[in-house]
Amino acid sequence: MSRLLEINHLKKYFPIRGGLLNRKVTDFRAVDDVSFTLQEGKTLGLVGESGSGKTTVGKCILRLLEPTSGQILYDGQDITHIKAHELRRLRGEIQMIYQAPAASLNGRMTVGQIIGEPLWIHEKLRGDAARDRVLELMTVVGLKEEHYYRYPHEFSGGQQQRIGIARALAVQPRLIVLDEPTSALDVSVQAQILNLLQDLQDQFDLTYLFISHDLGVVRYMCDEVALLYLGKIVEVAKTEVIFEEPKHPYTQALISAIPEPDPDLQREEIIIRGDLSHAFPQGGCPFAPRCHAEKLASCDSVLPPLLEAEQQHLVACHLHPPLSASSASEPA
Amino acid sequence: MLMADLLNIEDLHLEFHTYDGVAKVLAGVDLRMQRGDVLGLVGETGCGKSMTALSVPRLIPMPPGKITQGRVTFAGEDILSKSESEMETFRASHLGMIFQDPVTNLNPLFTIREQLVDSVLYQQARGQKVPGRWKGFMPSVRQLRAEAHERAVELMRLTGIPDGDKRIFEYPHQFSGGMRQRVLIAMALAGDPDLLIADEPTTALDVTIQAQILRLIRSLVKQLGLTVLLITHNLGVVARSCERVAVMYSGRVVEESPVRELFKNPKHPYTRGLINAVPQKDVSRGGLIGIPGMIPNLIDPPAGCRFHPRCEQVMDVCRRQVPGATPVGAEHKASCFLYPEDA
Repeated sequence: MSRLLEINHLKKYFPIRGGLLNRKVTDFRAVDDVSFTLQEGKTLGLVGESGSGKTTVGKCILRLLEPTSGQILYDGQDITHIKAHELRRLRGEIQMIYQAPAASLNGRMTVGQIIGEPLWIHEKLRGDAARDRVLELMTVVGLKEEHYYRYPHEFSGGQQQRIGIARALAVQPRLIVLDEPTSALDVSVQAQILNLLQDLQDQFDLTYLFISHDLGVVRYMCDEVALLYLGKIVEVAKTEVIFEEPKHPYTQALISAIPEPDPDLQREEIIIRGDLSHAFPQGGCPFAPRCHAEKLASCDSVLPPLLEAEQQHLVACHLHPPLSASSASEPA
Repeated sequence: MLMADLLNIEDLHLEFHTYDGVAKVLAGVDLRMQRGDVLGLVGETGCGKSMTALSVPRLIPMPPGKITQGRVTFAGEDILSKSESEMETFRASHLGMIFQDPVTNLNPLFTIREQLVDSVLYQQARGQKVPGRWKGFMPSVRQLRAEAHERAVELMRLTGIPDGDKRIFEYPHQFSGGMRQRVLIAMALAGDPDLLIADEPTTALDVTIQAQILRLIRSLVKQLGLTVLLITHNLGVVARSCERVAVMYSGRVVEESPVRELFKNPKHPYTRGLINAVPQKDVSRGGLIGIPGMIPNLIDPPAGCRFHPRCEQVMDVCRRQVPGATPVGAEHKASCFLYPEDA
């Protein structure tokens, strides 16, 4: 299995301007040193609260935002600084599906035009050939033929999301960045869309980067999960591992906060204090002010690096020493 | 019945007159709440859960809305026949309401103090809950405001806002989403309500903040003996915070039961579908079952049971008749022909 996507030390800072001359005062660190890899055919979940930087990561991968620094490798090729005409070819391989289906569809175009537009841009397909492809795509995502000449506002949220999915599939991408694809939908419709996404993945051999704040959905959809907190990855592991043995205190709190529809479920409820705040002590762990776990002296002063605490389980927490260090000290 | 119902909604029918026709938003809602109840009202977008809740404080604009049938009584009083000024007194003295979006419900131009003190003063004046010693002579505005300020700080402490005495001078934008929702809860509690209506109070919040707010609501129920009507689309939220659940589908309550019973033993096919559609712990890939189809058009709803076009166990009778609520267990009712009344 090959690495389709590799992100190395990705940073995206937004300037904060102020003062008399509106000069740059400081940076807002939306994404701060994020690294992960995505295997072909797999689904990686990128999870975090609002403001954690998960959408910014997604947009940087498509180069909808220019990364401040770092490296994005797609299929072995560095795409961090490629030029516009190469970028256009690349966008045929990487597509994005957005959160608000209504806002991401042009209300003045018919469904046929919306799905047909990428075919014209990328493959110069027009007329009957394009029409046939569009109708085929519409069947694939579960839309009917008679929807071809309708406008997006005539559809329900779930149907609109299907249009968005068909548009993304039109150019036969290999990687799709899904940015909260179901958070605007009702559960019964969400289940339909999630199943559709899984079917499409099997059918077309797609690789997903699944951005979501809903851990229940992530557990269902993803092979691997990376948790973001204030622009930094705090934990990465296989989905089962994350949900069975979360190591980072933030992950533990987040999992205990999932509202499970089971009134008998007895579990320790960890409620973390306060809310997401960028005002954490400089140099320390960003989660330290809200952390419920045992506090070490280094929490406030040293930024915990993301290290392998167990095989294929990376954690950025001082409470979990890296594998090499702990195994080295044990035999003694 | 031993205890009188605090809230009783009987066979409520509500219509909206639109250019496309008459939308039958509520078609016979029955709901009862006793003092101290924590009732969850669950359903998908457009099922009428908010409309049911808004018909208690009568906040539905009429026209275009019109109640064509049914009764709403609160502690024995008929609400639908009250005049507008009686309604104002009623809302101030008995009801508190919190909404989904804590951003739009606070005025960005005024400090929290101004908004909180205003609501305390309003609820006191309207609800005639002026402290006894003020009876007989008019207190000065300054004194009233000073007292209201004390009360406002007290409410902020009650809802878990740290440093309430200082933060009360701040503006809404200086508060985070969760803190704003706490301010709104404080406002809703200003008049010592009997019933708190919470319309999707945690939908706009992150899970960790959601857990904080749900815990706050639970502790207020214990501390103040509140009765809560919690409207949500999230079954997990219901499982965590409610004692009873009513599931709504297209303008009717289709199933009502104690929380545990509903999740262990759901009877109505819609309730089952809804529970199966939530990605749960032990569901493996491809195992999630959605409900086929879409919610019905309210202008031209399906005849008979409104769920029948999406139902897997549909029978002939479902297409012709509307099922009534039948008992299917202890305090457990479902509106479905699968459970005949004489069984």
